[in-house]
Amino acid sequence: MMDSITQKAGIIAAAAFGVVLVSSAGYSSVFAQGLPEGFKKGDLSPEPSADMIEAGKRVYFTKCVWCHGVDGAGDGPGADRLWPRPRNFNQGTFKIRHTASGELPLFDAKKPIAGQNDLFETVTHGLPGSAMPPWEGILSEEQRLQVLSFVTTQLVKDRKFTDKQSETQTILQLADLKPKPATDESKKRGSELIVEKKCVECHGMEGRGDGNAFNLKDDWGFSIQPANWHKCWNFRGSRQDPYNVANIFRTFSTGVNGTPMPSFADNTSVDERWDIANFVNSLCERDALGNPLPIDPLTDKPKINFVIPSDLVEGEIPADIEHEAWQKAPKRIVAMGGQITHKPRNFVNRIDDIWVRSLYNDKYIVYLLEWDDRTKSVAEGKLPWAPTQVNIDVKEQDPKTGEEGSIAAKQNNYALYNDAIAIETAVKWKELPAPIKPRYLFGTNDQFPMDIVKWEADGSLRAFKGTGWDKDFEERDNYEEAMKLVKSEWKNGRWYVMIQRPVGNKKDQDYDEDTFFEVGQYIPTVFFAWDGHNGDAGRKMAVSAFYYTFMNPPVPQETYIYPVVIAVGVVLLEGWVLTRRANRKKGKTL
Amino acid sequence: MKALMSLGALIGVAGLLLLGGMVLDVVPSTYIRLVEGYMPIQMLLEVACYVIGFTGLSYTLNAMGMAIPRFWQGIGFWVFFLLYLKYRMYPPIPFSVRAMYGTVSLVAVFMWVSASEEDWQKFKQPIMNVLDAQTGGNRLLRYLYLVLLPILIGGFSFNAMMPKSEEPIELRTVHPAPPASTKVHGKTYTLQTSQNPYRVNPEGKYDQEFSNANIVEQGMGRLMKPNANPWDDKNQGYLKYVREGGEIFYQNCHFCHGDNLNGRGLHAFAFNPIPANFTDPGTIAQLQETFIFWRVSKGGIGLPNEGFPWASVMPPWEQHLTVDEIWKVVLFEYWHTGYYPRTWD
Repeated sequence: MMDSITQKAGIIAAAAFGVVLVSSAGYSSVFAQGLPEGFKKGDLSPEPSADMIEAGKRVYFTKCVWCHGVDGAGDGPGADRLWPRPRNFNQGTFKIRHTASGELPLFDAKKPIAGQNDLFETVTHGLPGSAMPPWEGILSEEQRLQVLSFVTTQLVKDRKFTDKQSETQTILQLADLKPKPATDESKKRGSELIVEKKCVECHGMEGRGDGNAFNLKDDWGFSIQPANWHKCWNFRGSRQDPYNVANIFRTFSTGVNGTPMPSFADNTSVDERWDIANFVNSLCERDALGNPLPIDPLTDKPKINFVIPSDLVEGEIPADIEHEAWQKAPKRIVAMGGQITHKPRNFVNRIDDIWVRSLYNDKYIVYLLEWDDRTKSVAEGKLPWAPTQVNIDVKEQDPKTGEEGSIAAKQNNYALYNDAIAIETAVKWKELPAPIKPRYLFGTNDQFPMDIVKWEADGSLRAFKGTGWDKDFEERDNYEEAMKLVKSEWKNGRWYVMIQRPVGNKKDQDYDEDTFFEVGQYIPTVFFAWDGHNGDAGRKMAVSAFYYTFMNPPVPQETYIYPVVIAVGVVLLEGWVLTRRANRKKGKTL
Repeated sequence: MKALMSLGALIGVAGLLLLGGMVLDVVPSTYIRLVEGYMPIQMLLEVACYVIGFTGLSYTLNAMGMAIPRFWQGIGFWVFFLLYLKYRMYPPIPFSVRAMYGTVSLVAVFMWVSASEEDWQKFKQPIMNVLDAQTGGNRLLRYLYLVLLPILIGGFSFNAMMPKSEEPIELRTVHPAPPASTKVHGKTYTLQTSQNPYRVNPEGKYDQEFSNANIVEQGMGRLMKPNANPWDDKNQGYLKYVREGGEIFYQNCHFCHGDNLNGRGLHAFAFNPIPANFTDPGTIAQLQETFIFWRVSKGGIGLPNEGFPWASVMPPWEQHLTVDEIWKVVLFEYWHTGYYPRTWD
């Protein structure tokens, strides 16, 4: 009896062992079939109900059709003036996913859960850096799921989200993978890996997206550019949380479908991917203390301060950016939008911010301008029109899509002009009672013109006078001699330009044409930028709003004296109050 | 009563925790959305909730034998209100406005604590106690005040005197007075009598009722009416022109005014002031169609001085669009936001 029990137990144990063996063998064979580390097989989601799809159609034709088009081919009326272009849904190619490269994204009409529903998150948070806005707060959760039900079933035409024969879901288990702390060691390993894994070939040596920048195309043949790692708020997959390293880890693990960005899941371990993500994340712009820039929830971009402070230096203003004075000078981000007011108009603006610092001494003020531009462009030929001209009919691109002679064909094919930058300041700003200023695009009239200083990549530094929003600029005769180009250098996808100009005085300069800078005053300042490789020239450019240059006055002596006097006064006052109270209590009155 | 007051106390504690989170930057100030257009009412309601909460809190603490002296209640409420203005309000309001609200609320708090002689005595008592310094603790406090007050006041004045470079505040009139008439493409339009030539029924007659019946539904999402799809090829009249207006809008306007007409377009972040939000009930919903026609045609440069024409990037669209196209865009804006244009009668 005992024997038979032990025998049975032995058999059961052996059988159990066998099951474990077989199953683990099976498991390892699945692994060998190529499930990359950190991924697991998942099930396809059920088809959304017919009601959801019908309701979604109504959302689509109210909100989405204008860019994505009637058939979801990314060819709505707005499409051709957008860069990046709206998604063509027909092929079922979606960029931001938790699924393996080439697979459809996660979408379940009944599960609006972060991390488990890629398309829902895309609609909720939008795609920063493109025209796709976050729809949270505009469409209800239900409406977002409805429109996605419509898009995934009716507009994705070449693939089917529910077809078990052709579709699989291999899902990145991001929630289970704990981010590795961003130690110096991890970041260092990441910096070596991005060279080893050839990330730098496209993203550039400093990660400004400047490697191979103008030769890349997406699946539809449209020009596409590698991400600039220094502007994480423009990452499509940043999900309104740009400094979150998990977003980078996800994109790096799953790749970006439809673009040259592959998935690196097969040839990197999870550990290596965290190192790379930590390094890439560390490149994103931060403030002087190394903290993430505050993001404005209204725009999902860094918050803007419209004052550009200029610090006083004694003697010569240093030309070396590494100099202590420049390192200590406050750095301000200037947001840039396309100039779409006058022809030629700039709808596909490629310079969206500039970093500005400034120093001054008794004679000069110097602006240090830094901005990311993927290519250094110096004009090869002459412009067919004068760059000072306005309202000229440069033929805009044909409003056709994806075919011969369309924008897509031409997007790589602009004439090459000079990269350039300009600082525009108001002339005679003191004569206008604040807040009145001349019109910020090129001045009001002859009486209140704008003083424009423009640097171009061919090395020229010239001065213009703007006398009206639809007037050509006038080139100034001799102001160039008063200015100096202290530095101009393009390095790894970034321009560094330092422009020096006089603060202005009545002896050497013209009060009617030249801005006079005064210490402690708000001097209206505007910035313009041109990307020569984008066909930017003349009025086709990026513009900022009105900023203020503010030359920080040296601290006056009174600042140290008066507070002490006040403090002594307070002590006397205290004495008086206490004596009075004590006297009153004793019954005496003063 | 007790249950009610405990509920109030609960609200008070929850509200304080929320505000504390916002002050410490743990909870974003947009955690509870301030809905555009309803913001002032929402804010007042919120503050009312807080007041109810505090009443409950004070009552409950009293019942538990941990009453807060009137002195600290007054100061506490004032500090709360200042913090609320600074950390809860989004977009942030400038310091000068906050200072105004702060002063008003200080006066209110004073009126509250000095409502009766007895209250006023109670309020004054802690101050007098410190002045008289009868106990050891109060004596310590008195010396602390003696030392700290001069240092603090001196420090504040030093801070105030240090040269600073804060953004100057510029308050702009959003709806400047329009002219009586405007000349676009050589034709004069009297703003009081002009009509949108595309607000027509399928028979081609000006028909406000017909168009109003076909705009999007108010409510979350502002979706089109189920049987009023501008993309239906069979449309005649109003909806056909809405679609044409939309096509123009998405080729020209959405870069700034946004895909949802809420002023959050692709380039909007670069400009100051940010572009107009048409979904806000304070913009086009308050205006006549002809006003919009004038603004679109003449752009920023056409604004009178109180509208800050120098800071606007809005082009005079008559340069780029025909009169018909402008009217159609105006039509589309009202359709998409679900507002009726105001009329003169």
